[in-house]
Amino acid sequence: MTPLPADAANLVKKTALKSGASVCGIADASAFDEPAPAGHRPGDLLPGARSVIVVGGAQPRAGDWRATSPAVLHSMGTTERIQSVGRKLAQSIESELGYYALYVPPGTASGDTPFLSFMLAAELAGVGSRSLAGPVLNREHGFMYWSVVLTTAPLAADGPEPEGACPAPACREMWDREGTTPCLQVCPASAGGCLSGTLSAGRPVRTFYDAARCNSRVHTHWVGGFQKILEETLNEPDRDKRKMLLYGDFFTRTLWAVTYSSTNIAQCFECMRVCPAAHGLKEMR
Amino acid sequence: MFRLDPEVYARYKDEVLRLSNSFQHIDRPGLSDAQIAERLGLDERTVTEIRCVAERDCYPLEEWEKAIEFKRKACREWSALVLKRPDLREP
Amino acid sequence: MTDATADTTLEGAIKAIGLRAGARVVGIAAAEAFREKVPEGYRPEDILPGARSVVVAGGDGPTAGAWRSPDHRVMEITGYDLRENVAIHAMCDHIESQLAHYAIQAPSLPMHGHEPPMSMMHAAELAGLGSRSLAAHIILNPEYGLLYYAALITTLPLAPDPPLARPACLNAGCAAMYKRLGTTPCLRVCPACLQGTVKDGVIETSTYDREKCHSRAQTYGIGSFQKGLLAIVNEDDAAQRRTMIYGDFFTKTLQSVGFFRDSIAQCFECMRVCPVGRKHRKLQ
Repeated sequence: MTPLPADAANLVKKTALKSGASVCGIADASAFDEPAPAGHRPGDLLPGARSVIVVGGAQPRAGDWRATSPAVLHSMGTTERIQSVGRKLAQSIESELGYYALYVPPGTASGDTPFLSFMLAAELAGVGSRSLAGPVLNREHGFMYWSVVLTTAPLAADGPEPEGACPAPACREMWDREGTTPCLQVCPASAGGCLSGTLSAGRPVRTFYDAARCNSRVHTHWVGGFQKILEETLNEPDRDKRKMLLYGDFFTRTLWAVTYSSTNIAQCFECMRVCPAAHGLKEMR
Repeated sequence: MFRLDPEVYARYKDEVLRLSNSFQHIDRPGLSDAQIAERLGLDERTVTEIRCVAERDCYPLEEWEKAIEFKRKACREWSALVLKRPDLREP
Repeated sequence: MTDATADTTLEGAIKAIGLRAGARVVGIAAAEAFREKVPEGYRPEDILPGARSVVVAGGDGPTAGAWRSPDHRVMEITGYDLRENVAIHAMCDHIESQLAHYAIQAPSLPMHGHEPPMSMMHAAELAGLGSRSLAAHIILNPEYGLLYYAALITTLPLAPDPPLARPACLNAGCAAMYKRLGTTPCLRVCPACLQGTVKDGVIETSTYDREKCHSRAQTYGIGSFQKGLLAIVNEDDAAQRRTMIYGDFFTKTLQSVGFFRDSIAQCFECMRVCPVGRKHRKLQ
């Protein structure tokens, strides 16, 4: 057996950053035992998994957040660029270090349940923390997309962040002043939105999240939308009206999204658009 | 769910397609949905829906079968000529 | 064509990044140049506030070997490799991280029917990378012929490239053919989609039936899925329905939308016969 280099963790991170990741962190696989349900822990996917490597990147650019056309963020998500980093990392670990590595598929195991929670992985790997709106935010880069690689290599683990990006100072002030935050204000569950929450002892506490409603916004034109139109069409007795459904704007757009799903995977960003911590720290002109 | 009335569709589909970018002239662009809406006295959402349906409805499924045959023949004709392979030409 | 990698200007440095990332050509247009012919809502400034420049990357389509295949199905599946998009991302990353100006990939996927949020064809014209041809008004680069285009929009002010002084279409051979036969290679091979006239070696009129072309350029795709599905749903006979669902046409359609994501362009017959750029497809 090839001995693991003493600086293996750093080598892995270097490879990740060189391949295009903005951040790379490592979690101990055993850290998932308590928070993750059985069947969705690293060892369930890769027997003998010791480390979980999380890479983050491909986030919307500063210009994307500023764009006034919904076509930009709604059709140009960039998850694919970070997935290729994860794939490359898995291959590199196996070929360079001689340990098993598994690139966790970004899709779902069944229904809407992922193979493994990328958000939990990012938290445990110290590259981000959950926000009041839900997405995991990195302190420097804000909102990002994630890819996860499991490995049997025992790599030095990073711990969770001691302090998260959320709430941002501006949000603390807004909470003190108005009893709400930008994300809660733009998408309140009390008014047909997805979110309810509070800031307690300086930490975000989400008290309610309507996942099904959020799904209809983040994945408006995707598998669920396709299924809805299919059901409507099959139940429609009038042939002309069936044509209107199948040839119409909604179904056409849904088909585009489904076929390019890795580039069109997220279609609502409103809670993140208004989030002061979601856009990274760099000023642009 | 926005539902287009088939009668509205039938009434306006040809005109919407004619004004849009479906049948293109090299020296003049087609109109946007907003511009078509203004010209026809409809709202933009309705024009978008009519245009989407009409683009797909413009030719029947048989046209797709013709497309398959056209490409097969044209490709083989060209290959026969350029590769000097008369055996590739379809009888 | 000048060597962009030797150009040490700001524009040259950005272009060099795009070329290294896989673009065949890179050009720059001023955002305000779009105002003349583009309706409101579809201009760079409507997409990114403060937009000053549009950088356009042109990438190769199928390889020379693919063009030679007598089986048209090969290019139906491999028509597009999207590398011009990689070039755009590389340039966007550079502009934001090194030059501290906003930069976004211009959205080009259709949002409503066949209408993209911004025309990549027009962007390529304005950036001096090509001109419209008789063949479906495809933008032909004078050196390479058919290329695929992607663009970025940025608030960074850049010196624009001029549009082509001389259109790529018609070339001398096609002009001579028109004089002799009253047609050109592309018009002759696809009269279903294309019509046009030539005067003094220059395009006089040209029309293009995009919806008919769609049945050829995207035979197996979203459109065929919708057409096929409607026919299936409207078929009362269960046995007939089964043959439609499992038949070759619908199966190829599902493969195209589900698996062959590169299968965006599926008809090349007007470009196959086009002489522009053909010298780059002659190998051993």
